[in-house]
Amino acid sequence: MAAAAAPTRAEVMSLFRSLLRTARQFSDYNIREYTRRRAADAFRENRALGDVPAAAAAFAYGKKQLEVAKRQAVVYSMYAPKAKSIMEMKLQ
Amino acid sequence: MALSRRLLLLPLLRRGGCLSASASPARALSTAAVPADAEQEEAVTVKGVRISGRPLYMDMQATTPVDPRVLDAMLPFYLSRYGNPHSRTHLYGWESDAAVEEARARVASLVGADPREIFFTSGATECNNIAVKGVMRFYRDRRRHVITTQTEHKCVLDSCRYLQQEGFEVTYLPVRSDGLVDVAQLADAIRPDTGLVSVMAVNNEIGVVQPLEEIGRICREKGVPFHTDAAQALGKIPIDVNQMGIGLMSLSAHKIYGPKGVGALYLRRRPRIRVEPQMSGGGQERGIRSGTVPTPLVVGFGAACEIAAKEMDYDHRRATTLQQRLLNGICGQVDDVVINGSMEHRYPGNLNLSFAYVEGESLLMGLKEVAVSSGSACTSASLEPSYVLRALGVEEDMAHTSIRFGIGRFTTEEEVDRATELTVHQVKKLRDMSPLYEMAKAGIDIKSIQWAQH
Repeated sequence: MAAAAAPTRAEVMSLFRSLLRTARQFSDYNIREYTRRRAADAFRENRALGDVPAAAAAFAYGKKQLEVAKRQAVVYSMYAPKAKSIMEMKLQ
Repeated sequence: MALSRRLLLLPLLRRGGCLSASASPARALSTAAVPADAEQEEAVTVKGVRISGRPLYMDMQATTPVDPRVLDAMLPFYLSRYGNPHSRTHLYGWESDAAVEEARARVASLVGADPREIFFTSGATECNNIAVKGVMRFYRDRRRHVITTQTEHKCVLDSCRYLQQEGFEVTYLPVRSDGLVDVAQLADAIRPDTGLVSVMAVNNEIGVVQPLEEIGRICREKGVPFHTDAAQALGKIPIDVNQMGIGLMSLSAHKIYGPKGVGALYLRRRPRIRVEPQMSGGGQERGIRSGTVPTPLVVGFGAACEIAAKEMDYDHRRATTLQQRLLNGICGQVDDVVINGSMEHRYPGNLNLSFAYVEGESLLMGLKEVAVSSGSACTSASLEPSYVLRALGVEEDMAHTSIRFGIGRFTTEEEVDRATELTVHQVKKLRDMSPLYEMAKAGIDIKSIQWAQH
């Protein structure tokens, strides 16, 4: 199998933006916040990865997580409860 | 395109406006209460309590939400790959079996075991039953004694009580006031006919982590199998069955963001530990636990273990930070708060606090917007304070006012801040109304008071 090339900066930024956009689509407060935070922390941590196979592996992992997130955002929205979390309601 | 959309919207808006006018023609002169507006209609009313939305969840020791990545792994096995893993003659069976074995390998690698040592069950309670009753019954001719602690989970204590009725002897070791078991005392309690030592890894009520390596070393020296209930520990603290000398281990999926209804029993092969099966049937799971292995649940458990292995460091760091934030927030604003259990040997996602001079049930009733649990059983039928807190030597009044905060993977800083705010507000409100608190602030020692008999 041919070794994967390191992702370009543009590809990485595009993946990050897609993950954040998908995170916003989650109807559940906790999952939404987690997806956003975890993606940001993971990208920040892996920024220093100079090693090409490691960077390519991290990028491939990120792409897989994006697919999972996209599917689950749809599933969660189909079964979203009527009442939202009190964290999302205006302070009384 | 945009224009036609806007034109469509206008009649809808007007129609909406007309509806509200026609809905209340008789109400213009009525003296009945004004109907609740749309925002309040989202409120949840359960058991006579009305809350504006779903409470924020801080009860991670009771159960955890299913991680979306786990759900994603499970769904195909509910939709198209629904075969029975024990069917040997067609694709459905083969793919189901392959998925089960892959999940088994994932669970095994999280604890440093061989996949052949993992047996899937319906949960940690069943595992504890198999471990305690199964081991002792298998070796009933030569081993008649069990050692456990007073802070074990109810299923272990109940299994031990059941064994006592069958004629076995059980030693319930006390714990120190910080919740840790005295290892020297444990070593002394071991007899030649001791068949099992059972000490849980992380306590579900107070979050204390027991010294597993030391206990495992002693048990290995004395040749006694060491069982640990690791339901709360799996995926949260690093577990290595060989380093810790563990012979049997109970694991639960729904404490690590997996599905409810599945768990696994670790049973050592070298030296081999034998158990008498508690479920009779077709001999599935090498005869240890008969019954069809629930493929979707098991796949979910495997996915949860894989995620936990990757995320353990990140989650642990985060839980530590959030726990510190919660503690500083609460202790910085109210005094006379006691932490139940050792702070050094603790899993950071579990914080059990007692608030002095506050009545427990009224505290919980005021905290309906935070989903927490109390350390006492006063929310259930009996008014007895929790046996775990009693074993720590906590006084009854403090045991009644204990609250257990659970912090997990999905807990946010804002939730911790809101929980702090709500707790502090409720505690201050109750203390303002409490004459005992007034007396304590005036310097009177409540214990020395001679209450007049009427």
